[in-house]
Amino acid sequence: MALTTQRVDVPVIVDESKCLEKCVACIEVCPLDVLVKNPDTGKAYMKYDECWFCLPCEKECPTNAITVQIPFLLR
Amino acid sequence: MQTPNMDPEVAQWVEMLQSPELNERLVAIKSLQHLGDEDAIEPLIAALNDESPTVQTLAVTTLWELANPVAIPPLIECLSSPHAEVRDEALSALKELVSTQDLMKLLDVLQQEDAHAQLNVLVLLRKIHDAQALPFILPFFQSERPELREAAVTTLRYLNQVVRCEPALALAEDPVESVRRSTALTLGHLSDQEVVPLLCRLLTADPDWQVRRNAAQSLELLADPAAIDSLVAAMADPEWQVRKFTARALQQTADERAIPALIKALSDEYSDVRRDAATALGNLGQPSTLSALQQTLDDPDMDVRIYSERAIVNIQASQSETSNA
Amino acid sequence: MNTQYLKTDFLVVGGGTAGTMAAIKAKQASPESDVLILEKANIRRSGAIAMGMDGVNTAVIPGNSTPEQYAREITIANDGILNQKAVYETGRLGFEVIQELESWGVKFQKDHEGNYDLKQVHRVGKYVLPMPEGKDLKKILSRQVKRHKVNVTNRVMATRVMVQDGRVTGAVGLDVRSGDFVVIQANAVVLCTGACGRLGLPASGYLYGTYENPTNAGDGYSMAYHAGAELTNIECFQINPLIKDYNGPACAYVASPFGAYTANAEGHRFINCDYWSGQMMLEVWKELNSGKGPVHLKMYHLDDDTISEIESILWDNERPSRGRFHQERGENYRTHGVEMNISEIGLCSGHSASGVWVNEKAETTVSGLYAAGDMASVPHNYMIGAFVYGRIAGQNAMEHIQSLDHVEPDAEFLAAEQARIYQPLQQPEGVPHTQMEYKLRRLVNDYLQPPKSPNKMDIGLMKFVAYEQTLEKMGAKDPHELMRCMEVHFIRDCAEMAARASLYRKESRWGLYHYRLDYPEKNNEEWFCHVNIKKNKAGQMELFKRPVEPYVVNVDLEEEVYDVAVR
Repeated sequence: MALTTQRVDVPVIVDESKCLEKCVACIEVCPLDVLVKNPDTGKAYMKYDECWFCLPCEKECPTNAITVQIPFLLR
Repeated sequence: MQTPNMDPEVAQWVEMLQSPELNERLVAIKSLQHLGDEDAIEPLIAALNDESPTVQTLAVTTLWELANPVAIPPLIECLSSPHAEVRDEALSALKELVSTQDLMKLLDVLQQEDAHAQLNVLVLLRKIHDAQALPFILPFFQSERPELREAAVTTLRYLNQVVRCEPALALAEDPVESVRRSTALTLGHLSDQEVVPLLCRLLTADPDWQVRRNAAQSLELLADPAAIDSLVAAMADPEWQVRKFTARALQQTADERAIPALIKALSDEYSDVRRDAATALGNLGQPSTLSALQQTLDDPDMDVRIYSERAIVNIQASQSETSNA
Repeated sequence: MNTQYLKTDFLVVGGGTAGTMAAIKAKQASPESDVLILEKANIRRSGAIAMGMDGVNTAVIPGNSTPEQYAREITIANDGILNQKAVYETGRLGFEVIQELESWGVKFQKDHEGNYDLKQVHRVGKYVLPMPEGKDLKKILSRQVKRHKVNVTNRVMATRVMVQDGRVTGAVGLDVRSGDFVVIQANAVVLCTGACGRLGLPASGYLYGTYENPTNAGDGYSMAYHAGAELTNIECFQINPLIKDYNGPACAYVASPFGAYTANAEGHRFINCDYWSGQMMLEVWKELNSGKGPVHLKMYHLDDDTISEIESILWDNERPSRGRFHQERGENYRTHGVEMNISEIGLCSGHSASGVWVNEKAETTVSGLYAAGDMASVPHNYMIGAFVYGRIAGQNAMEHIQSLDHVEPDAEFLAAEQARIYQPLQQPEGVPHTQMEYKLRRLVNDYLQPPKSPNKMDIGLMKFVAYEQTLEKMGAKDPHELMRCMEVHFIRDCAEMAARASLYRKESRWGLYHYRLDYPEKNNEEWFCHVNIKKNKAGQMELFKRPVEPYVVNVDLEEEVYDVAVR
């Protein structure tokens, strides 16, 4: 089956300049397990667009690197 | 810092918490927070003095989550931190953690000249409800800072067994509105002789409508018939929330003198006033008010219809009781 | 993929409200026993109260109300169909739960004298207790789980319960990060997996824009069904009045003591009783369709200070993203009402009554299998009910397992389940789970959203049955996607049960929850009973009537039931 790479507006935005390579706080608290580390950079990003906009990732980040927006379809 | 029995996973982060690199310490403290292991309490308490306020705040959060009473005295120290985020987090933590046992320590802080810490402690005393705090609160009624006067008079109503407090009465004339608002609410919990006349004056004459509203709320609590003339007058207040809470106070002190004002309130612009006036009329039980109440049965607001119907049933019930007697 | 074999005495599936309490109570009852919580997320932030809770809906506090009054209130709110003994237990044990939670550091709202500050929302009694500082409830529960030395395995999702010779012997699942196949032997299992919150599709079209935590996909409903347990009241859907698009509650309970209320477009109240019930939802639905809609939470008549106070409570707790939602839309409570709508359907006994059949001991109809929380049918049970039934399940399970030994898993069963779980990985280019789920849930909206039409439900049922084969086309590229694929299976099972149960009960009941266009009246003569579902020996979905157990508290239903006419 053919696949496309469709862009989506993702709710969780990570400021890579602030994200700490050794820290996994946001990844551990996400109930939907949608955040992972980019193996090349060690920075977190939203891999799966499955967000409940519940905010623990943002609140638990020790460097305020994360911003959660309400998903575009709801905004 | 490490204890011999410490879990190696915990020990690794405790060690990292000593790193000169801020980023390392941030990762370490986050990891300790998530592990939630009480063996880390001592190094966490030490981290309250980390040079970075972010690390300090995270240490407060982590100690809060561990909820071990050992951490309470050092957290109380944080109430005087120069950093607002550390103070705020410590206050949130202590709201959950403090108990009567911490009273003396809190009262000590109250006597230090640090306005931030004093304000925070006044808030925390509301969680303890202990009347022993009263003599320590009184001096704040004369504080130069309005926020301390307000906090102190608010805390007063949380102290158990305090029913008289003459020094608080003067705050009803405070130049600052926020202080008078809190005072008006606190007076509802006091029984000094001057309280009801004072509340009546606030209800009818204070320039701030929230003070007037709060006075009505306190008069509802006190349910003193002596307030009736002021309550009737306040039914004509230009602010609807004052009229609403006055109608509620009139539910507690049924007096026929209120009937004209209450009937007028049945056509108030605000549905809450109409509803609460209907209930007050129901409590009065006068058949002469039935026709006015019946006109509100097609009020556009469902609550008014429901409470009006109950009021009518009330009046009819008291009528049949009288006729059976 | 590796296989992990684990053994425990008591397995708790789901580490939310009910699950953490079940595990703690089991350890208190039997400290030397091994208790394991299996959680597909992380127990620090999981389940319905992942972000905290702003209040308790069913607090029976001595001096304010009694368990008898509470049982009566819920009997009326649920149109008489309930196991009253089970509801009574929530009233009886709720206060002990509240006291224990307080001893753990949970704060409930108190008045100036330190008494509980209860609010009246129900028809008669006061049961609503605000908890303005309730945002860290899960952290407090996690701390107690740790202190009680409960084992926790995060990020493993159970997919099936193991039943051998009529008794529970464990569960199997999937490690959603490593992809490992996990087999857990246990002598008793409690399912606490929450609601089926991903049944209907939210009007926004966003799959995870649900009222319930979207991790709660009906896992336990499906697992209990396949284990052979009975389910009940599935046709009594969960529908909530929510902020339009945001799908969070408008929180009239929190805002109403400050003077806010739900109003129609003309600004007038139209609801008879604010307590969430099917009757109340019918009133909202009728107003929405009356020309006086849309409805909104009205605060613009209040002053700035009061609104600021409401905001600080609403935006900090339960749904902290609410403020952001309003800001991004340029909405302000001071000038405009918050537009509300009724939600898509779900299954949840915490709010309504749909769930796995349990008695007052939290036992399902399968030996050694317990259920608690939103997925166990104790009507209107909410958070306190979840704690109470977690506690009951934990205590009873420890008694039950005393003379039991572990049983070797059935190799054939394991092989079949392994093949089922990993099938989507064999075809990574198959239909993505997102599309598979979107279509399934759109069909739920098309055919099951009340008012219920028999012909539409017939079509829906046919499509849900056929969807079982459609699911075989699903593909997954990694363990995370595999988790979502398995959730779509759970959702499909729930959709089929919802259609069958709704078709079976040929009357209307519970207001909007089961409003049938062809049978608009309530018919107590034929339908004053439960409708139960189970998997029969042939592997088919079987439906049957189960009589309502005699009441322990007398209620005159003819006199007292709150009835909103459907026309």
